[in-house]
Amino acid sequence: MFEKGLILNHPLGRLIENESGEEIMPQGGFGAILARAGVGKTAILIQIAIHSLLCDNNVLHISLNDPVKKVGLWYKEVYRNIAFQHSITDQDLVFDSILPHRFIMTFEVEGFSVPKLEERLTDLMEQNIFRPHMILIDGLPFDESQKASLSDLKFFAKKHSLKIWFTVRIHRDEIPVTDVIPSLFDDVEDLFETAILIQPEGKEIYLKVLKGGKTDSGMTRLSLDPTTMLINQNGWIKSA
Amino acid sequence: MNDNTSKVRNIGISAHIDSGKTTLTERILFYTKRIHAIHDVKGKDGIGATMDSMELEKERGITIASAATFCEWLDHEINIIDTPGHVDFTIEVERSLRVLDGAVLVLCSVGGVQSQSITVDQQMKRYKVPCLAFINKCDRSGANPDRVIKQLKEKLGHNAVSLQLPIGLEADFKGVIDLLSMRAVYFDGKNGEIIRTEDIPDNLKDEAARKREELIDTASMFSDELTEAILEEKKISESLIIEALRNGALSRKITPVLLGSAYKNKGVQPLLDAVTRLLPCPSDIENEALDMDNEETPVILTADHGQPLVALAFKLEEGQYGQLTYIRVYQGTLAKGDTIINVRTGRKVKVGRVVRMHANQMEEIESIPGGYIGALFGIDCASGDTFVSPGISYTMTSMYVPKPVISLAIAPKDSKSETNISKALNRFTKEDPTFKTYVSEETGDTIISGMGELHLEVYIERMRREYNADVSAGKPKVAYRETITRKAEFNYTHKKQTGGAGQYGRIAGYMEPAEDDFIFDNQVRGGSIPTQYISACEKGFRNCLAKGPKMEFPVTGVKIVINDGASHAVDSSEMAFQAAARGAFLEGYPKAKPTIHEPIMKVVVETPTEFQGSVMGSLNQRRGIIFGTQDEGPICVIEAQIPLAEMFGYSTVLRSLTQGKAQFTMEFATYKQIPQSVAEELEKKIAEDKKSLQKR
Repeated sequence: MFEKGLILNHPLGRLIENESGEEIMPQGGFGAILARAGVGKTAILIQIAIHSLLCDNNVLHISLNDPVKKVGLWYKEVYRNIAFQHSITDQDLVFDSILPHRFIMTFEVEGFSVPKLEERLTDLMEQNIFRPHMILIDGLPFDESQKASLSDLKFFAKKHSLKIWFTVRIHRDEIPVTDVIPSLFDDVEDLFETAILIQPEGKEIYLKVLKGGKTDSGMTRLSLDPTTMLINQNGWIKSA
Repeated sequence: MNDNTSKVRNIGISAHIDSGKTTLTERILFYTKRIHAIHDVKGKDGIGATMDSMELEKERGITIASAATFCEWLDHEINIIDTPGHVDFTIEVERSLRVLDGAVLVLCSVGGVQSQSITVDQQMKRYKVPCLAFINKCDRSGANPDRVIKQLKEKLGHNAVSLQLPIGLEADFKGVIDLLSMRAVYFDGKNGEIIRTEDIPDNLKDEAARKREELIDTASMFSDELTEAILEEKKISESLIIEALRNGALSRKITPVLLGSAYKNKGVQPLLDAVTRLLPCPSDIENEALDMDNEETPVILTADHGQPLVALAFKLEEGQYGQLTYIRVYQGTLAKGDTIINVRTGRKVKVGRVVRMHANQMEEIESIPGGYIGALFGIDCASGDTFVSPGISYTMTSMYVPKPVISLAIAPKDSKSETNISKALNRFTKEDPTFKTYVSEETGDTIISGMGELHLEVYIERMRREYNADVSAGKPKVAYRETITRKAEFNYTHKKQTGGAGQYGRIAGYMEPAEDDFIFDNQVRGGSIPTQYISACEKGFRNCLAKGPKMEFPVTGVKIVINDGASHAVDSSEMAFQAAARGAFLEGYPKAKPTIHEPIMKVVVETPTEFQGSVMGSLNQRRGIIFGTQDEGPICVIEAQIPLAEMFGYSTVLRSLTQGKAQFTMEFATYKQIPQSVAEELEKKIAEDKKSLQKR
């Protein structure tokens, strides 16, 4: 589809894909979007999801913060902005075509566990209701106590050949000045193949690849439009 | 009536079907001396329980319409609404909770927390109604109050704390140990009316002491004084614990649990004590109205009797003396002879008879003070209307009314029934906002819709019994639509010039898909179609929309643009151009690639998590797209979009899949094109229907 092609040409693709258009993250891989609260982790996560959905991949979005309705509205809003950015005429048709590829699950933070996820996912897969290629987990608290459950999740991802993206909330004081993984993330960093930091600088916001991402030669940052949180079309810039 | 609202309790009794609410209410009325004999629900003595006033209720042993009644206990006036237990009558439960200050959640000690208990609990949460739990049927085989308390905690998330300990269970159930006074309570006499207190039996002393510790520990979270007393190891008085429990109960942070067997006349009086001690009085609850004169700004109401009146009509009943309106006065006083205003209609109403209801009997009173529930005669209003004193324009926050989930086409079996049906429908729709009726424009059928199959069945049955109207019910037809998917041109000449007055008109232009149902755009220049015939052209096209050429469904989403044409000085007429428009439409329509659209419903299922997999499977089988699932502790909410055509009979399927523990709501979301295979099936079915009609 013409419109899909336009969206796939988006710089975000070049952040998570190699030159031949294949995703850098391996099956069973973990990716993290790191930022402090309120900077726009969910918006970036949903851009990754929409990118993948447009490639006809099934995406399971797990939210530990918001109800299904709110997550659905996030998708609509982010998609509407992307469609507007690309002047897509038949917006609804494209959006309707990706909906069957998306499944939203929400849990209470304390109610979320790997066995529970596995149980829910088995329900979906055994009945051929939904088989995800990618999982997004938004709102999982990262601390020392999560190490074991993240290891379980890694095993789960490998077993089902899934790629999992997480949002990681970091403390204001944790914002790295250089390209260093924040210490809060240290304990579990080895489980992650990719880590991307959202970094506000004055009125600008950048996406900085901390680990694993493939970038254009010498270009390590992508600039974001602060109003829509979309990646600017020619957003690659040299690292600050 | 008592002017001191601190001694008033407006309570509801809610629970799953067959938990024994009506029996419990019957016993309450007996012990409070409102009735002088006890009758069973299923009415072996031919009388039936006092609160089940409808014939049908007595026969089926279920409560359909909630009857309001009041009684007095320990100087307190208690207004009780007995609510239906079946899931199909939830509006009755919702209405009761809207006007109540507190509730008693009745649970069966064998069945535990059942599906309707979950529904009722969610409704209580929605209206922030503080509640007590009463574990009934402790005399039944398999009774296990501990398990029910555990379920209250785990399934409903209540901080349940038992105020009593059973003395024996099942057939050995003798009485209860009151953990506040640490006395054993027995219920003697023919009807358990004589209360005997004794020392706690030796074998239960340790357990009672342990349970009391637990109770005090939980209650201490809601009273600094109690915490202090515990820390300082002072003697803890009963009143101190009660005060703490009341604080916790009013903020819905604690659910005091009582035990008993209403049928065996055990444990009802302590429950009444708890109602007066632990549930709120009207002034404990903050009620809000919206000021219509001030952009619906919320206004806090006070139960002050001197203030202007604000009252809510929450239930209507058609009795032998006319319409009976159940009303809750939130502020001011509603007295006989007053002139009040119905805020919705703006009409002035003179208050005639004011009564206090006792199931289907009534007692004449002079006025209903703020905080009380009563009933009025001869007031024409709808359920949910607000009445105020002249000079103010407040409306009570609108009641949450669930959308109907199921519809049926009905038809009278004879001409006499036809008149009676309309009378019945008129009354039912006024009484019950979840029951709707309309005449389908497409099929001409009278459609009734409501909250479930049983809900509609009961109304059909009531039409027969109360209105002598025999009704046949069918399957409703889905409102399909036709629309076009691409631009197509037309150029049609209507010409009839052989003999008599001639007809001539030519219309050219195109049709294309549109967002709106129908758009007509006249771009004719130079008078090729004279101006006086343009409206006839539009009318001609519009008339074609009622029955689409493809499958005779209404056509929507079409824009017609006319840009050329021709006329004849003598033979052109409005009729000729209408006919030309029809011809032009039929010419262009097949070229515009018409398709059939069907209504898609947003379906939300709430189910205990253990049934999540099977519920999702059932939705998936119905050509649905499941958008997501929301885990809310013991309950899971599934959101999906499903074609309406696939949803008939779903309530039954869902019930059997989940042992009746899940419920669903359904509302219109959008129209979407039906898949080719379904369109072919539909085409076949329509052709068959036509054939069978022709044969007739």
